[in-house]
Amino acid sequence: RSYYGGNWASFSFSGLLSWIMEYQENSDIVNESPAWQEQILLNEEAIALSKLDKTIQHVEVFCYASQDMHEGVEEAGALQKNHSPMTSANSTEAANSARLPTEDESLSTVSGEVLTEQTPGSDLEVNDVEVTRVKEKGCDKTCMLSTSEEGTSENVPVVEDIAKQPKKNRITYSQIVKEGRKFNIDLVSKLLYSRGLLIDLLIKSNVSHYAEFKNITRILAFREGRVEQVPCSRADVFNSKQLTMVEKRMLMKFLTFCMEYEKHPDEYKAYEDITFSEYLKTQKLTPNLQHFVLHSIAMTSKTTSSTIDGLKATRKFLHCLGRYGNTPFLFPLYGQGELPQCFCRMCAVFGGIYCLRHSVQCLVVDKESRKCKAIIDQFGQRIISKHFLVEDSYFSENTCSHVQYRQISRAVLITDRSVLQADSDQQISILTVPAEEPGTSAVRVIELCSSTMTCMKGTYLVHLTCTSSKTAREDLEPVVQKLFIPYTEMEMENEVEKPRLLWALYFNMRDSSDISRNSYNDLPSNVYVCSGPDCGLGNDNAVKQAETIFQQICPNEDFCPPPPNPEDIVLDGDSLQPGTSESSVVPEANSETPKESANLWKPEEHSE
Amino acid sequence: MSEIQKLHTSFLLDTGVGKSSIVCRFVQDHFDHNISPTIGASFMTKTVPCGNELHKFLIWDTAGQERFHSLAPMYYRGSAAAVIVYDITKQDSFHTLKKWVKELKEHGPENIVMAIAGNKCDLSDIREVPLKDAKEYAESIGAIVVETSAKNAINIEELFQGISRQIPPLDPQENGNTGAIKLVKQTAPTSRRCC
Repeated sequence: RSYYGGNWASFSFSGLLSWIMEYQENSDIVNESPAWQEQILLNEEAIALSKLDKTIQHVEVFCYASQDMHEGVEEAGALQKNHSPMTSANSTEAANSARLPTEDESLSTVSGEVLTEQTPGSDLEVNDVEVTRVKEKGCDKTCMLSTSEEGTSENVPVVEDIAKQPKKNRITYSQIVKEGRKFNIDLVSKLLYSRGLLIDLLIKSNVSHYAEFKNITRILAFREGRVEQVPCSRADVFNSKQLTMVEKRMLMKFLTFCMEYEKHPDEYKAYEDITFSEYLKTQKLTPNLQHFVLHSIAMTSKTTSSTIDGLKATRKFLHCLGRYGNTPFLFPLYGQGELPQCFCRMCAVFGGIYCLRHSVQCLVVDKESRKCKAIIDQFGQRIISKHFLVEDSYFSENTCSHVQYRQISRAVLITDRSVLQADSDQQISILTVPAEEPGTSAVRVIELCSSTMTCMKGTYLVHLTCTSSKTAREDLEPVVQKLFIPYTEMEMENEVEKPRLLWALYFNMRDSSDISRNSYNDLPSNVYVCSGPDCGLGNDNAVKQAETIFQQICPNEDFCPPPPNPEDIVLDGDSLQPGTSESSVVPEANSETPKESANLWKPEEHSE
Repeated sequence: MSEIQKLHTSFLLDTGVGKSSIVCRFVQDHFDHNISPTIGASFMTKTVPCGNELHKFLIWDTAGQERFHSLAPMYYRGSAAAVIVYDITKQDSFHTLKKWVKELKEHGPENIVMAIAGNKCDLSDIREVPLKDAKEYAESIGAIVVETSAKNAINIEELFQGISRQIPPLDPQENGNTGAIKLVKQTAPTSRRCC
């Protein structure tokens, strides 16, 4: 891969378009001749690794913003073509081709209002004829909605002029492409519980030096078709205008009890066998408050969560309040994808080596000892090590034939305003939309504003996540339709009711977090498996997994200890790696990088 | 009273070119023949006067992550300037430099100041990269260019002063105060109860 973090990564807009392309073209990859087989000696066996990443499926893209610009829109600041033709061609190509597949699918969407143009992906050359043609098409489709505005954009042939347009809130697709690097779009949507394991680990290891965070500003609830803010801290409850005095007292009393529920067993013991939602009904709470507690504070399922689960979740939420702000959650600036990089950086400072764009063909297993002794990379080079840490996405079907995966449904939306407008337009919100049908799960919505450095000014980046029951679009589109309207429909109405949808991406990601190591076939004991991201909101699962694997490899070492002061480090000749405790992979003597350890695996295995 | 403006500077390029020794010369005015690959240090700081302002350089070391072209994009975040070092005695290093420029143009901040440093100018008798080539290239990408010698302390100060002059004036709205939270060790952590 060319990026850090595997499925934990985040991308700029053009980066995401390339990522989309990669997964839409997945099937085309040609099988190379297995030259590595010649490298396997008589007393060895090979475990072939998968070349294709099969963790991402059902990728679907929809563009609702008008694409009234010509084709050659490039990211601002990209090199001029004469200086580096590859640069511009690549970004244009990414933009074109990623848009292409949306055509067929978008026409079949329920709304039918999608504004996608027929732009053949092969048309990389920008010429005047092309520009005119595309512009006309864009106009054909949009002018019925607002003739005056379309007229303006048609008369503006140069990209630079568009940026100066006085109109606010008219964001076009080309603006998104042009400001593409202002976006940092995570594949995984999570938050950090302010007293969660990840925060503790970041602080303990000093990795927190490399990152900055913002507090989530609002907890939202979706009830009877409306988005409302949930008061969760003591101050919130008192200041709330939506609650009556009686409700305030009820909620305070209940939340205070939840903080220390274990001390009052008599209050919940009798209800242990029923669901949390049934239990809430027995606690003098209005339906309004029951909804807030069940869906937005405990964030538990109405049908499946027990009283104890609900109380635990509520207490966890309340305990995290106030450490960094009025809500229990933090979000890293530039996105969750920064965190694997931060861990990698700390590791690199102490001599860890990362190789991107470098693939691995197979594991080499010694027939006698049944241990893995080396890997063979794409160049046929053998790299020897004592321990091998492999993310499960690398395993081929032979290794995974008995494994059953769950799936995560994800959607990424770019919108033009918040789902709940407030005095400040810089809100970071989490909203839980309860499941409607039995058998489906609640949808977690995280809305990020531009000050999180994940989207351009004037837009919001909205992440939707749920456990899959169908494809991502089937699971999430109903919620998207409840909260947003496609960009074009808006123009018909005078009053702005809902945020407008500029761009949407749906995909399914494999959730391998609960797969036991024993489910894989014939793995040598010194091969350690790490999973991809789980569906949960926090990161505890990943931290626990990393620590468990670390303890297996280095039983007597402290996990992510604070780094020594630079002045205390003594370098004595050969042992140049004072802090490395990772699995080190030492190449053979004839390799091109002597005396260097190489960590060819994905970076997240010791970071997340 | 002069204002202090915080700056980030990323250092990019293959090791062995003198990247670390330039930092070392700049920050500590010191040159070590056997400087070891940078280990354990993540950044250094140095303040230089520029007009009425003081410019504080926070010099991030890339910790060798660029060796396999694996620099994490996080290094670009908020960087005001990047110094890319090549070796005037190695044509290859000049090619690598061009790759980094491309990478920065594509993924770095839009207004990043780029400086190209041709290091080891004390060894000009075995030069492979003519100064003219470097100047032409720098001009084509709008970068600062100087030939330096960390060994003989040539042009190191000038390199950083050149960068200082190109940094746009402090914008009070942009700089700092974004309300971002830094996680720090707490002296007396309140209830350690965890999720």
